[in-house]
Amino acid sequence: MAMDVVDYEIFGSEMQYVEVELDPGEAAVGEAGVMMYMQAGIQMDTVFGDGSQQQGGFMGKLMGAGKRLLTGESLFTTVFHNEGSGKRRVAFAAPYPGKIIPVHLSDIGGTLICQKDSFLCAAKGVSLGIAFQKKLGVGLFGGEGFIMQKLEGDGLAFVHAGGTLKELVLAPGESLRVDTGCVVAFQPSVDFDIQFVGKIKSAIFGGEGLFFATLTGPGKVWLQSLPLSRLANRIILSAPAAGGRSTGQGSLLGAGVLGGLLGGDD
Amino acid sequence: MDCWAAMTEQTFEGRLFGPGLPGTGAEAVGSWNGQGCLRVSVEGTPRTELLAENPAIAAAGFNAASLRITWEDDGGAYAFVIEKDAARATCGVSAPPGIASRILSASGSRECLERRFRFGGVLLALFLALPLILIGVFLLNSDRVADWAVKRIPHEQEARLGDLVLAQTRLQMKILDSGPAVDAVSAIGSKLTTGSLHRYRWFVADRPDVNAFAAPGGVVVVFSGLIRSAGSAEELAGVLAHEVAHAELRHSLRGMVKSLGLRALVSLLTGDVSGGVFADAATRLTELRFSREAEREADDEGLRRLVKARIDPNGMLRFYMKLASEGRPSPPPLLSTHPATGERLERLRREVAGLKQKWVPLPIDLTSLK
Repeated sequence: MAMDVVDYEIFGSEMQYVEVELDPGEAAVGEAGVMMYMQAGIQMDTVFGDGSQQQGGFMGKLMGAGKRLLTGESLFTTVFHNEGSGKRRVAFAAPYPGKIIPVHLSDIGGTLICQKDSFLCAAKGVSLGIAFQKKLGVGLFGGEGFIMQKLEGDGLAFVHAGGTLKELVLAPGESLRVDTGCVVAFQPSVDFDIQFVGKIKSAIFGGEGLFFATLTGPGKVWLQSLPLSRLANRIILSAPAAGGRSTGQGSLLGAGVLGGLLGGDD
Repeated sequence: MDCWAAMTEQTFEGRLFGPGLPGTGAEAVGSWNGQGCLRVSVEGTPRTELLAENPAIAAAGFNAASLRITWEDDGGAYAFVIEKDAARATCGVSAPPGIASRILSASGSRECLERRFRFGGVLLALFLALPLILIGVFLLNSDRVADWAVKRIPHEQEARLGDLVLAQTRLQMKILDSGPAVDAVSAIGSKLTTGSLHRYRWFVADRPDVNAFAAPGGVVVVFSGLIRSAGSAEELAGVLAHEVAHAELRHSLRGMVKSLGLRALVSLLTGDVSGGVFADAATRLTELRFSREAEREADDEGLRRLVKARIDPNGMLRFYMKLASEGRPSPPPLLSTHPATGERLERLRREVAGLKQKWVPLPIDLTSLK
């Protein structure tokens, strides 16, 4: 199936959104709920499954939807179709602070393995599948779980990562140790494995967990500096409602000042 | 090694990574020659062609799903990654023997990974399904479990349960504790229950229904309607024998355990029968239906008791036939709770016909009670 070629522009620095320009007749698929705005002339259509196989049978659609349910995404995707006569724009916003990664699937061989839940939007025709992590150790301790997402096609896809993005290319045999949870996406030619941190002492007191994720080249990998769960953890920890400190707020006699004096800043 | 020997015709597609190539790899085509050399060519301008002598082969990439052929030359380290199944097959087929065996072992390690993953999946599925399986096994064996549990309920508990049922019944109908009818019933009953572990207590309920029931722990309640419709003391004895048999075989307890399940079991075993579970159960106990199996057992046991007490079992047979033949629009309650099927009657008839003992007539006159 021919992919739609889309032009795009990414706005913002830490909380980004991507604006996609659709030529007449072109379409983009977005994760349900991420659309930010769209110009007149763009038709929004919600489809069951991933929208890549409109001609597929009922069972095929059901399977696709089931897979999406497994990867933690909604059953439906939304297709934005330009029915107008000129170029029209539609924007998709990232759901949490971080960066949007544009990936030309044709440049990397047609397949991208990424963290589940990280898909933002893509040119229509890109299929969203799941890739089971079949290495049991990696599934258990690799930080990404057993279910990952596989984007296939030769169009443009946008993936979202938390914090600052590190994009790097590993030469054949070159390997990198990464904190578990920081891997966003990689080419399927990259070996994704785990490695024990080395010492029992580090495993217990080091704060990095028991295992590192190791990525071995060749291929391109995308890393995130701040996985959403880590951010969420910190927010919960410092939320006054959850027993955290309300630094810099409250009255002079309140917990804010005293807590700030005694506890220092985190 | 002669790397310039002719290449085989068969080519396979993959991605080539290495110095001077894009970091994300470039589409390339590979082929083997007879000496175990790999030639990889990258389409484009300029067309790049590389020769690999004695490369290393491993299953690699995500899920070890692709075949990675790596080698080093003057330029640096190169890797040729074959992802597609068809291309991998071609690569294996066209490779010279020495290389082919290495490709085979690489695909072996990939299959090992698959197997382990599947094994893990099955293990997880089993773990998740375990509670369901256990519940299923319990339900399938509920008869046996009920039997097992009933055997372990002490007689004192059963008697207490009987008291509870009696108390509930007293609220619903008028129960006679003494009088000529009660005397007659207990006179017949005591003949049937000699040597029982239960302490039997006999009651007559002042109700026109033709019914009788035995609560756990030896509480037997006969409805006055039954006494009225019984033609002789032997007929009444037949019904009593059947009810006594139910009590002795603990059928109502078993039915209760089965219908109430584990909750009842736990409180019975711990001796806590005061809970609300039983108040409800006790009221329903009088309407409890027994299985066909239980009825047959009760018939046999009742018959045995009649014979042992030297009471004519033809009375039992007569009374059942009387009940069954009465074409009333609504069958008597005794019939609805103790369905007298034709099969059961036939069986009873056969058994009774086979008995040749001398019977001792009961010295009780029912006509005076009516």
